[in-house]
Parts: sequence; C-alpha cells; structure tokens
Amino acid sequence: MAGARTTDTQLVEDETTEADAVAALAIGVSAILFALAVASMFERITLTGTLAGVQTVTLLGGLLTALGLTVLVLGVGSRFGYVESTPDPSAGLIAGVGAAVPWALVGGSVASETLGLGTGGGVVGAVVVGGVALAATVLPREDVGSTGPLGALLVVTGLVFSTGVIGPTWVWELGWEQQAAITAEFLIPVATLFTTLYGGWASAKAYGGFGARGRHMGAYVLVYLNALSIVAFLFILVAYVVVQGVPGLLTGFEIGLGTGPETTIFGVSIALPVSVPFVMNGVALLNDFQGVLPAIVGTFWLVIGAVLLAVPLGVGAAVFLTEYAERGRFTQVVEVATNGLWSTPSIVFGLFGFAFLIPRFGNGKSLLSGMITLGFMLLPLVVITSREAMLSVPDEYRDASAALGVSKWQTIRSVVLPAALPGVVTGVILGVGRIAGETAPILLTMAGGTFVPGSQTVDVVGSFQFTSAPPFVANPALLEATSALPYQLFALITAGVGLGSNVSDPNAFRWATALVLLIVVLSFYAIGIVTRYYFRRRLKHT
Amino acid sequence: MSENQNPQTNQRTVTTTAEQPRTTTAGETDERTHDAWTAYDFDGDAKMTVDDLDVYYGDDHALKGVSMEIPERSVTALIGPSGCGKSTYLRCLNRMNDRIPSARIDGSVRFDGQEIYQDDVNLVELRKRVGMVFQSPNPFPKSIRENIAYGPQKHGDLDTGLLARLLNRSDAAERDELVERCLRDAALWDEVCDRLDDNALGLSGGQQQRLCIARCLSVDPEIILMDEPASALDPIATAKIEDLIADLAEEYTVVIVTHNMQQAARISDQTAVFLTGGELVEYGDTDRVFEDPHSDRVEDYITGKFG
Repeated sequence: MAGARTTDTQLVEDETTEADAVAALAIGVSAILFALAVASMFERITLTGTLAGVQTVTLLGGLLTALGLTVLVLGVGSRFGYVESTPDPSAGLIAGVGAAVPWALVGGSVASETLGLGTGGGVVGAVVVGGVALAATVLPREDVGSTGPLGALLVVTGLVFSTGVIGPTWVWELGWEQQAAITAEFLIPVATLFTTLYGGWASAKAYGGFGARGRHMGAYVLVYLNALSIVAFLFILVAYVVVQGVPGLLTGFEIGLGTGPETTIFGVSIALPVSVPFVMNGVALLNDFQGVLPAIVGTFWLVIGAVLLAVPLGVGAAVFLTEYAERGRFTQVVEVATNGLWSTPSIVFGLFGFAFLIPRFGNGKSLLSGMITLGFMLLPLVVITSREAMLSVPDEYRDASAALGVSKWQTIRSVVLPAALPGVVTGVILGVGRIAGETAPILLTMAGGTFVPGSQTVDVVGSFQFTSAPPFVANPALLEATSALPYQLFALITAGVGLGSNVSDPNAFRWATALVLLIVVLSFYAIGIVTRYYFRRRLKHT
Repeated sequence: MSENQNPQTNQRTVTTTAEQPRTTTAGETDERTHDAWTAYDFDGDAKMTVDDLDVYYGDDHALKGVSMEIPERSVTALIGPSGCGKSTYLRCLNRMNDRIPSARIDGSVRFDGQEIYQDDVNLVELRKRVGMVFQSPNPFPKSIRENIAYGPQKHGDLDTGLLARLLNRSDAAERDELVERCLRDAALWDEVCDRLDDNALGLSGGQQQRLCIARCLSVDPEIILMDEPASALDPIATAKIEDLIADLAEEYTVVIVTHNMQQAARISDQTAVFLTGGELVEYGDTDRVFEDPHSDRVEDYITGKFG
C-alpha cells in the first residue's frame, strides 16, 4: 500500500507521453461534458433529441462511461508502473469524503427505492456504500485511491444513462403532498455535471502524475471550471433573454426615410429614419403597436435622480468617517447602521416612501418620491464602498500633503478623493445595477394606482419652469406618476397591461420588455466601467 | 565647549572622563549620557534650537530630554540604531507628530528663535518653511507638473484654475517657471523636461525621490527634513541624492536621518548619534564624532560592535 515511489522524482519532465495525452484528452472530454450538461439543464439541447447522430442521453452516458474507463486505466496503469507518476501513499481524507458523498447517494437511493428497503434500508445502504468508497479512496496508494472509486462512479452513471435504466422519460415520484417529482430532465444533467467534475478532477490529477503536482492540477481544473461556469451562466442568461426578446422588440420595425416618429431636436422637427415602435411608443388605446418608451425614460430619470441624491451624501459621509471622525464607538455604530441599511429589504424602503414621502410631495405617487426612495437605498452602498476606497488611499499621500503645509480639507479634495474615485464609481455601478431593477419600491412610490402604466413619457427637462413665488423653479414632471421598466414588466405579467390588439404573443412582449430592461441596466453598467477606466488611467502612468 | 552640566544627578562616576555624569532617569537605566558630549560649538546662527524635548507614544517614552542646536545652511545627520527615536525627533521639528493621536510632546523647539510648540502656531506656515522628504518616495498620482505646482497652488500663490484662465489671469507662465526651477534645483530637469505631463508614478524610484525633493522646494522652505531619503534606492540613485543634498546645503538647512554611517560621514557637517532608549548621546562635528567619539557606546556603534 504505502509503498515506495515507483519512480524517482525528476526535475525535468520528459516529452509528452501517451499517458499525458490520454489524460489531457480526458480533461477535454470532461469540459465538453460539462458544457453539454449545462446546455441541457437550460434546455438548450433536449435529452430526446439527437446530437452528432446519436440520441443525447446515449451520447452523455457513452461519454461518461468512456471518461470513467479512461480514469480507471490511468490509475491502474500508474499503480503497475506503466505510467510515470509520483503518487503519495494516500489520496487523503478530503478526497475520500469527496468520493464517499456521491457513492452514499447512489447507495442510499438504490437501497431504498430500487430494492424497496425503505428509509432505514436507505440509510444503511448509504453508509455502507459511502464507507466502502471512503475506504477505497483513502486506503490504497494515491493513484488508485483517487481514480478507482471516481472512475467506477462515472462508469456506473454512464451505463445507467446509456442503457436506458434511467431514460428521458424516467420520473421518480417523491410521494410528497406537493406532488414533487424528480424527472430525468433534471436528474440527468445534474448528475452528468457533478460526475463530470469528478472525472475532470481525477484525470487532471493523473495528468499531473499524482502527488503534489497532481493535486495542483486537480485543483486548477476545478477552479477553472468554476470560473468558466460563472461566465457560462451569465452568457446563457443574456442569450436566453435576447433570443426570446428580439422578436417582440422588432415588432413593426421599419427602416427608411420618414418612417419613424416626428422628433423635435433643438427646435427642428425631423422624422427619424428608423421606426422601432416598441421603444418609441407608449401605451395608448389607438396605437398600432404598444411600446415601453415611458418606462425607459422613467427608469433613466429614476437612476439619475437616485445617483444625484446618494453620491454627494454618501461620499460626504465616507469622508467624515475616514478622515475626520476618530475611530471609536461612533464610527462603529455608523458602520453597523450602513450595513444594516444595505441589507434592509427593498419593500421596506418602498413602504417608508409610501408612508413618509408621498404625503409630503403632492399626495400622489411621483417620480420624485421614487428617486428619493431609491436614493436612500443606494446610499449605504455608496458609503461602504467609498469608505473602503478612501481607507485604501496610502497615508503617504496625506503625509506628503501635510508636510507641504496643505490643509486637511484641501488634501482630501485634491489628493484623497481623486485617488479614491475609481472605488467610489465601482460602488455606484453596483448600486445602480440593484436599484434600476427594483420593482417593489417603485410600485409603492412611483407607479401604479389609477393610471395606465406607461401611457405618458415624463419630460423632466422640458417641464422646468420659473415661478414668481419661492422657490422660483418648479418641475411638475417630477411630481407625476410614471412607469419604470421593472414595474412595466410586472404589470404586463400580472395584469396584461400594455398588450395591444396587434400583439399576438404576449410572451414575446414580456420578453422584449425584459430585454430592454437588461439593455438599460447594462448600459448604466457600461457607462460606469468607462468612467472608472478613465479615472484609473489618470492615476496610473501610461 | 560649554559646561552646562546638570548638577542634580551625580549618582555615578564614569571612569572614562573626569566630568560628572548624568543619568536621564535615576534608577531606570544605567545608560549614561553626558551633556558635554552633546554640546556643539559652531560658527553662525542656530536655525533650530531644541531644548529638553520629551516625546511619549502612550506609555512609551520615545525621546528622552533631547537638547541640540542645528546650525544654519549646513547638513546635520541623525544616526542611530532602529527604534532610537531619530525619526521621531525629526518629525517633531515640523510638528508632523501632531498627526499621531497618541503622541505627547514636552519641551521646547524654537525655529529662528520662535517657539513652535505653543497654541497659536500657524501650522501651514511652519510646514511651508520646514519642508519634509520621506523615506519611501511618495509622489502624488498626478503629472510631474501637477506634483510640483501642488503646494503653491493650494497656498493660493499660483492660480491656474478655470476662472483664472477665463479672466486671463492665469499664472501658467509662473507655474512653468517654478516647475523648471524646482526640477533644476533637484537635478531632475534634464531627465524629465520633455514629459512633464506624464504621471509621476512612471518615474524610477530615484527620480521619484528627487521629484519629492523638488516638490518640497516648491513652497520655498528654509529647512528641509529628510527621513532616510535614500534607503529605498540603489547606489547610483543614492549617489545622485547625496550630491543633491550637498548642493542644497548652500541655500537650505538640511537635517537628514540615515541608517548608513558612511553616508552620514560623507555628506554631513555635524552628526548627532541617538542610541536605543531615545537618548541623544553625542553631537558634534562629523569628523570629530566619527574619529574620536567621547562615548564608548557611540564608538562601539560606529565601529559596528553594537546596534
């Protein structure tokens, strides 16, 4: 078992051996399987369909079996000295637990369901099978321990899928009150995903020749797949919304001179050369095509207003906390309070706006109330991130400035704040992403009620007026109720608001709204990133 | 040498000199200092006079009863092992220690005869006249030009803001003159004159440190305090800084903290040796201190037996 190493450790690796190539191929197969599993989980490929001329389930099962066999061969080959490797005496307890968990699941399920032994039998089965897997991983030398149980798991799973024991139509009724069931559409992708991770891990270990280098390779593959899956999930989400939303977005799309609506720019009235009714119209009874323009404009002004309110207050509070206040009980209290405010559910902010702001601003839902409510929601994040950014400005800058006789406030203004700006902008980006998608506070403070959401476009710039009485400026548009994209989507889904007679597919209309919301939020995000890049460049040498 | 010996503490006799010794705090330590060792006679005026300066960080007594006079237009080196209080001493001279909340300072520091530790001292003016260069180069993340112009702009001596430009009152020409003069004085002009608008963080370490010296010169100081200005630099950059210090001493009073005894011997006119515990043990003409130290401990330190 814990025998001497089969080969001496070499400082320089030989050229790629066949075993290395096989292990690398196995890692590649794991990556493909991982992608297939993710794709089938999101129903981008169907299990009953065919892929490369083979039924998808059979293909998944076959690949899993092949991967498992390869892993087994690599381990056994290393054990009998056909493959150069430097394994440790044991794979270790963590790898053992890692192998025991899936095997315990398999053992438990088979004992309780397939063999019909009930819950008690299931527990016994889980413990026995998991224990055997643990022992088989921990007790033998590392090369066998870290490949044997996992390879066997892959082979078993693959065979179960490819032989149709668990086919595309398989359903496991859980027998709960809620009629829950585990279907093949769920089980097969998830099982493939996890067993593939195990397979990739084991083959990466084999690729590294086991030992310390093998463990390094194994961890590397796992971490890399993790990072990749984050990108994959975002990509799938965006792609999904785009695919579903584009048909609705382009309903009634026309291009050509004079097709678009009349627009007045700087006093000149021209007709735009494109017409995209969905983003150029509001909701009205006589429209050929209904659109979400008022909601887009509402969201835009909402975010602008919230940022204008929260950034000066938040940055000011952060300056006070980092530069002026002595670190003590008071700053701790403020810190706890900001963190608490950031974790407060948005509906609570909405209720506050409803109860406190609305009676004070014209007694009706208004854009202004929405701006202030969302500004308060944004505030804690701006404080937290600005504070972190200012704390990370080196004290050397403050010392250098003080040694020149420059006062504290001037130092803050001309050295500390510019150096902290990228961090502040990051905070605002994150916050805007959150508030632009908020529905509940808007529902309570800004939209809803008696008017049809999305019927009027709010004209904030155009409704500034000068008045003869204080405060001398007025902006009725700020006190009007208006819609915003998340709310528009909510109203569409719950009440079917804004569906015109020409909309044959309400679903497309909803997805199009979601797509526009996504685009608006991502545009704010892009603006933030460009701003941050600009400030960072100014701080760094080029 | 003046004989202003303190008569109240003659508890020990020292065999190396005939004069009466003095312990700083009776019974606390057997380390001995001697007033005669720190009395330094020089020609000309004292720019800065420090009398019986004590500094505490919380309960830590960092500097014990230091008295010394710093002559005008010369280089004064402060040497000593780590933690001996020489940087603390330096930071007392422009009241940078005020920025450390736990620091407590007793004693008197007079700058051109004026006490700087009293209530209504104008710290802005003091720090303009007593400039400081730090151990690691710390230019602002701004352009070279902005780094130099920063101090005068903040003091309102240069106005290049939008309003000034609109009113055609911009001091851009004066600013560029000042930038060139300071950079020339800091021996950096030839290396950076064609990239004044580049970010200062793109300069090498030695160039950054000379930029910091130029920045310090921009507010027209009388004294320049340097806290190990060359310790983070390579030998060539160090040599440039040392040449620069020698040039600066013709016009300014330079006080420099250094770990490097060869450097102190090369560049300074007088040397003060601090030893562990925050005491000034010996102060005098550099050649005298290095060749014929009064104190055995200083001799041990200089020859490398201790410290």
